[in-house]
Amino acid sequence: MADAAFWAICLVVAPLFFAISSFVRGGLAHVFGPLAAWLNALAVLGLTVSFARSGPLRYAIGGWQLPLGINFRIDGLCVLMLAMTAVTGLAVSMYALGYFSLRIGSARQMSRHEQQRLFFWPLWLLLWAGLNGLYLSSDLFNIYVTLEITGLAAVSLTALSGKPAARLAALRYLLVSLLGSCSYLLGVALLYRCYGILDMAALSRLVSPGPLLWCGLALLTAGLLLKTALFPLHFWLPPAHANALAPVSAILSGLVVKASFYLLLRLWGEVFAQVLPPAAYVLLGALGCGAVLWGAAQALLQKRLKMLIAYSTVAQLGYLFIALPLIRLDPGPAARQAVVLLILSHACAKSAMFMAAGSIFLKAGHDRIADLAGIKEVLPVSSFAFVLAGVSLMGFPPSGGFVGKWLLLGVSLAGGQWWWGMMLVTGSLLAAGYVYRVASRLLVFKAPFFSRRQAIPPVMEWSAVLLAVLAMLLGLLAGSPLELLAAGNQVFSPAGLEVLR
Amino acid sequence: MMDAMGIFDMVLALALPWLGWRLLASPDLFRAMVLFISLGLLMALTWVRLQAPDVALAEAAIGAGLTGALFLSALRRLERLSEAERRLAFAGKREEEDEIPPERHRRAKPVAYGLALLLLAVFVLLLAWSLAQTPAGGGLGPAVGEQLGQSGVRSEVTAVLLNFRGYDTLLEVMVLFLAALGVWSLTRVRLPLQDEEPGPVLATLVRLLAPLMIMVAGYLVWIGGSRAGGAFQGGAVLAAAGVLLLLANVTVVRQIPAALLRWGLALGPLLFLLTAVVCVAAGGNLLEYPPQRAGAWILLIESASAVSIGVTLAALYAGGRPPEPPAQDRGGEQGPGRDADADAGGRQ
Amino acid sequence: MNTLLFYDFSGLALLAIGLHGLIRSSHPLRKILAANLMTSGVFLIMISGARGTGQTMIDPVPHAMVLTGIVVSVSTTAVALVLVCLVQETTNRALLWQKRKREKWGRTDG
Repeated sequence: MADAAFWAICLVVAPLFFAISSFVRGGLAHVFGPLAAWLNALAVLGLTVSFARSGPLRYAIGGWQLPLGINFRIDGLCVLMLAMTAVTGLAVSMYALGYFSLRIGSARQMSRHEQQRLFFWPLWLLLWAGLNGLYLSSDLFNIYVTLEITGLAAVSLTALSGKPAARLAALRYLLVSLLGSCSYLLGVALLYRCYGILDMAALSRLVSPGPLLWCGLALLTAGLLLKTALFPLHFWLPPAHANALAPVSAILSGLVVKASFYLLLRLWGEVFAQVLPPAAYVLLGALGCGAVLWGAAQALLQKRLKMLIAYSTVAQLGYLFIALPLIRLDPGPAARQAVVLLILSHACAKSAMFMAAGSIFLKAGHDRIADLAGIKEVLPVSSFAFVLAGVSLMGFPPSGGFVGKWLLLGVSLAGGQWWWGMMLVTGSLLAAGYVYRVASRLLVFKAPFFSRRQAIPPVMEWSAVLLAVLAMLLGLLAGSPLELLAAGNQVFSPAGLEVLR
Repeated sequence: MMDAMGIFDMVLALALPWLGWRLLASPDLFRAMVLFISLGLLMALTWVRLQAPDVALAEAAIGAGLTGALFLSALRRLERLSEAERRLAFAGKREEEDEIPPERHRRAKPVAYGLALLLLAVFVLLLAWSLAQTPAGGGLGPAVGEQLGQSGVRSEVTAVLLNFRGYDTLLEVMVLFLAALGVWSLTRVRLPLQDEEPGPVLATLVRLLAPLMIMVAGYLVWIGGSRAGGAFQGGAVLAAAGVLLLLANVTVVRQIPAALLRWGLALGPLLFLLTAVVCVAAGGNLLEYPPQRAGAWILLIESASAVSIGVTLAALYAGGRPPEPPAQDRGGEQGPGRDADADAGGRQ
Repeated sequence: MNTLLFYDFSGLALLAIGLHGLIRSSHPLRKILAANLMTSGVFLIMISGARGTGQTMIDPVPHAMVLTGIVVSVSTTAVALVLVCLVQETTNRALLWQKRKREKWGRTDG
């Protein structure tokens, strides 16, 4: 009887259960954590298979139908986001398993390391449950609660490293996230007051232009933009992502910012697509351009590897926003497919990059780019992973990034708005610049490289490589995920809702 | 026509922002926090006026009481810190003792500030105008009324919280659990919370009050099925009892083993989650209670949640994970009075 | 004038004051107070909307949402307050360390 709904329930319940268990039985945390990661991967596999067989689905929690209850809505986009979280999360979990089994430094450092391990797993599993819940839910207020889980867990994970800089960054992150949630909540309240319903699909059928709708939508968007760290609101992101522990950085940059962007994509691409004026999309696209330029310029100037990667996240998020006006422009599925591909490949590539950078940091004892020359002699696999992920970020041919950008370029030229396409190309060149800056150091031959005695477990290196390879091959494998995406689309059309009710 | 209640409403509606303004403008942080607590109580009064007694109870207990206590204890910790610093004769170096150095306040340029203020004002006015313009939509009130009979409880708010939108509440309990987890991951608690010994009056008072409060908490959970009350309100009262015990530095509280505390935190979330799964195993949807037993299930979930909410909120007040057992505390550099958070490290 | 709108506007005013305070205040505790004011403002707007939907019928869904919101808000506040204390502590320790170094090695600025 294992249908899609069953797997969807597993995706929320299992991480929550293991989070609680690994908190209560701290000694077994490093068993429960990876176990939950594998179970989650299994559940996503099951969900994908049954989704491919039986198509989109609505699931009424508690048996309460709309408008009263909360519904899961399982469609193509949702399945793809869940799959992204599962794959990246699994790789990060394996990496973390290696990371927290390290023996480092003095006894005091070791005891701190032990504490971090004890709390990393439950926090990360709760974060994971929040993400899964967010992707599954179709209820705006329920999404608020999942956003809060995600945000609070992300903040706690950021502060886990215990460095003063990380704590300060976490505090700023928390305040920003508070502001964002507050704005989002008010937006939900205003929409509820207008239409008396919280379900996104039902809302998309009811919306009509009006002052309260504009205000509500502006508030929802502003809150989510803060959490996604779009260009002028990105100030909190680089310090938070750069100062966290290595597995945490990978989670924050690869997965957490995607959640709020996914929601924006839902709202702007589906729910309110009929009522929003094109100018609003252009505004977001313009901010995206700003993010691409500013993020890349800052990345080029950074002296530290992790700061560079964090600014690269700011730039890469810009692409996703450039895609929004193109989705509006394009009646076909190309732009939507492209943005999903960009999300997936960025998640893999960026996590791989942070994981590789974490290994490099451990081995070298620092992450000053200038002094990393020749580290490939001692860490060949991680250096390879970093460069491969970087190439994928640049948008080199077989990568998912390449296919995504290529599709967007096609849409922008066909629609006569070539400036978006130009921005994409410029961004890729800038990305090539900062990736080259690091790669030229990493791959140069300079023996002997002075490194610490720290042995890096193979699982840490290979999980990064696998993710980087996946990001690279995503362009070749893109066919089947995009079919899934198309399969889910009719759920959001008004007719689909009628059928499902 | 403006009757007495209308005037009362108007005064209340004016008093709230005024108090908020005074609170943020007050240069003295302690005063600001006292004003914050009174604002919370005024909010509770407002909820009563708006016929939301459940919210009023929660606001008075959690919004004003517990949040206020959290603020005050944080302030005391900060003040203790800056005092220690003063004692270290670092005076001439720092002008504003309240400020965290890395976040030096930048004076905004007056033009940019004015512009931002204008923008804010325009948006708020726009919002006010659109609120006044738009007729209220349907709302879910009628739908809740229709289905109330099948929810197993008589209170509408409890029906929404634990049945119709029980999934929200499940996740919300997780948020609370997560907060405790986050606080525990950050630092270790320093007991006793007060430097000075509690007076005999306080100790006696606490011994008398604590059992009474536990009974009140139980009553609130029980009554939640039909009237205002429920797990959150009951849990908050329980937490208040916990806070009093912590303040009075009762020996029992310090001797609670860490494992028991962990179970206390986890009990509510775990039971809620298991209930949800049992519903699936029994052939229903997630959180779909069997209709005849719904009331009993809800009461079970609420009782377990109330215990965990109480423990969690008290743990949040304590502000850190329990201290490690003394057996591991070899190496005398970590005496009880010393900074117990040495593990957090100032290593750059 | 409708008395419900009083509370709407009151909530909006709280929201605006809180936002202003959040951006303007320098002390982190005051920032957190301001954020709490903002959420209170949002709650006020939500609840006053719940009564506005009908003359006699109260909509319990916003009440439940606000209850959830209050709990979420106390959770985030608690984490934020502990973080503030820790940040202050580590800063103090860093200053102390600097001072010791300065006493040991004589005055060196920078």
